[in-house]
This record gives sequence, C-alpha cells and structure tokens, in this order.
Amino acid sequence: MDLSPREVPDAPRAQRRWLPIAFAVFAGVAGLAIIGVFLTSSIDYFCNVDEVGVREGCNDDERVRVQGSVDEGSLQLQAGTTSFVMSFNGASLPVVYDGEPGGVFQECIPVVAHGRVVNGTLMATRIEVKHSNEYEAENADRIEESESAACS
Amino acid sequence: MSIYTATAAVPGAAARTGTRTTRVIGVLALVTTAFVVVSAFFLTPADSVQGDSVRIMYAHVPTAWVAYLAFITTAVASGFSLARRHRTLGFDRVAGASGEVGVLFMAMTLLTGSLWGRLTWGTFWQWDPRLTTTLFLFITYVGYLAVRRIDTDPRQRARRSAVIALLAVLEIPLVHFSVVLWRSLHQEASVLSPDGDVRLDDLMLFTLFAGVAAFTLIFAWLVIHRQRLTALADIRQTVGLDAAIALRRSETSGVVK
Repeated sequence: MDLSPREVPDAPRAQRRWLPIAFAVFAGVAGLAIIGVFLTSSIDYFCNVDEVGVREGCNDDERVRVQGSVDEGSLQLQAGTTSFVMSFNGASLPVVYDGEPGGVFQECIPVVAHGRVVNGTLMATRIEVKHSNEYEAENADRIEESESAACS
Repeated sequence: MSIYTATAAVPGAAARTGTRTTRVIGVLALVTTAFVVVSAFFLTPADSVQGDSVRIMYAHVPTAWVAYLAFITTAVASGFSLARRHRTLGFDRVAGASGEVGVLFMAMTLLTGSLWGRLTWGTFWQWDPRLTTTLFLFITYVGYLAVRRIDTDPRQRARRSAVIALLAVLEIPLVHFSVVLWRSLHQEASVLSPDGDVRLDDLMLFTLFAGVAAFTLIFAWLVIHRQRLTALADIRQTVGLDAAIALRRSETSGVVK
C-alpha cells in the first residue's frame, strides 16, 4: 500500500477569492433594488392629503397617516379637542384630534396625522409636526414671510 | 520604534498610549468643543420655528456625520486588513477601534435625535424610513463588535469582521438617502441636500461645521488611543502565552529529570 503523502490540487485561488465577493455584491445590489423600487409605497411614512382614497395604501377605509399643512385660521382648541383643516396640492381634509398636539404644532406648518377617515373627517389619534429643513434666526419679519409662504 | 519593541524594551512605557501628536489632537479637540458649546448656547440665534430646541442640532448632526466617517474608516481599514492579512493585524485594530467609536457616536445621534424629535415632532420615536434605517445601521455595528468579541484566533477574527464591515458600510447611503428615496417624518438634509442649497443661517452653519471638526478630532483621539490599547492587550496576551508555555516546558523537563 502506498502511504506516501499525496498532493491535493489547490482550487483556483482567484475563483475562491472572488466568488463570495461577487455573491455579496449581487445580494447587496438586489437588496437595494427591492427596497428602492418595489417596496417604495410600503416604506413611505405617509400619504399626502390629495392621495387619500386614490393612491394604493392610502385607502380611506383603513388607518392612514396623512400629511398636509395646517390651514391658516382653521385651528380651533375647544374642551381638550383640537380641530383644523390640513391641505396639500389643492386638496383639503378636516382633522379632529382628542388632545393637544405636541412639538412645534401651529398653523401653516406641515403635519402628519394618524387615524381613520370617518364621513370625510380624519379622526386622528396622533399628530406629528413635520418641520422643514430650513433653519433661520428668530426674527419677526422672517416669521411673517415664512407663514405667508407656507399658507399661500 | 514600534509599539512592540517599545513594550519589549521598556515595560513601564507599555502603559502609555499617548504621543505628542495625540496630545495636540486632544488639546485641539478640547478648544474646538469649548467653542461649539459657547457658540451653540450663547452666540447662535434661536430658530424661527423651533426656537431653542434647534441647539440640539449642533450635537446631533456632527455625531451622525462622524459616525458615518467612523464606519467608512472601519470599512477601509478592513479592506486593507483583508488584502494584507498575512502581514499585520494593525489595520484590523484600527477597524475595530473605529467601529467602537462609531457605535458610540451613533448612539449619541439616536439619543439626541430622539430628544429633538420630542421637542419638534411631538414624539420621541417613529418607525419612519430615516429613523428605522439609522437604528438598523446601529444594530449592525453592534453585531460587528459582537463578532469581534468572539474568542478565536486574531487573524480569523480579523477576516470575519472585515467581511462584515465591508458589507455593513453599504447601509450608509441607504440611511443618508432614505429621506430622498421615501417619504419620511425626518426632514431632508439641510447642508448635503440633493439640490446643493444650504438652508442655514451663517452662524448656525459655522457652528455646525465647528461641531463636525470638534467631533472629528475627538474621534481621531479616541481611535488612536483605542487601537494602541488593543495592540498592548494583544502583546500582553502573546507574552503571557509565551511565559505559560515556557513555564510548562520547564515543569515538564523537571519531571523528566
């Protein structure tokens, strides 16, 4: 019996090294494509006011998150209930919220309201402020400018 | 003189991880941080909508950017570690140190962001795309550090963690562009915005960049010290193992005699 050590042929080094890398890159690109292209509507945090009942995932008979700006002059606080009208792209939606919204909630500011649409009114269970990415010094003139821009 | 020869030649010097360079970086970090604190609290104006809560931005944004920098550093060092794995573990130590500091800064980003969110949005947390991807990034790197803690051969540890680091860094573009790809409660970027416009008042912007400089210096200081500390720990482990083997051999030879 021949017991002398045998030489085991090496696998091609380049193939061994690049195969996992190629697989990882493919998996990464495929993953990003799935997330970025196919899951977009599922990952979106909110529907805009003009999409309620129109866009997929924004059905008015389900719980929705709706984004729009608080109309100037529409905000009312009565007996612990907040009501206002939010608008986006020409469409408006009345909102009723049992409580006082937190954050920097005010008129002429974008908000996201969570809730269900009942008889054309969004009965909100949560209100969040979606502030812009602009930062300006506190200045009375600028506040008026920004308010007029937001509500025009 | 390398840290190895220094340790071997002068045992007392092994406890030091600082050099003149790290002392200069440390002093610069202290001075810059002091300026950022003074400017953030006393010099910069309040925001027209958010009021004083905007001051959290001077910690929140720089910690996020430096966490990205740390994770990119980890990936680059891991790439070198994989390419030169037969020569040195130095790159692996830099990768590990940078990953640790990155996780620290990412935790600060999540914490300050949560506080800022409570003051402006009215909620500490929501599962929106930016917040969720950021948390996912944080958890990924906690996992990366966990893999580094597995008790195994240092070279195997370096190889495994390098692969994870090279994959994990791909999450950063996903986090950064999450507010562009999807609708998010989190606002879009004010400085690195897609259209290139900068939407901050001048002093706010200057203080923000000073914050980035301060946290970058702190990052560099921490990483240099941490990777040197890791090198010393590896040396101690190696020296301890050599001594144990030598002792065992002497015991064995004693029995034979």
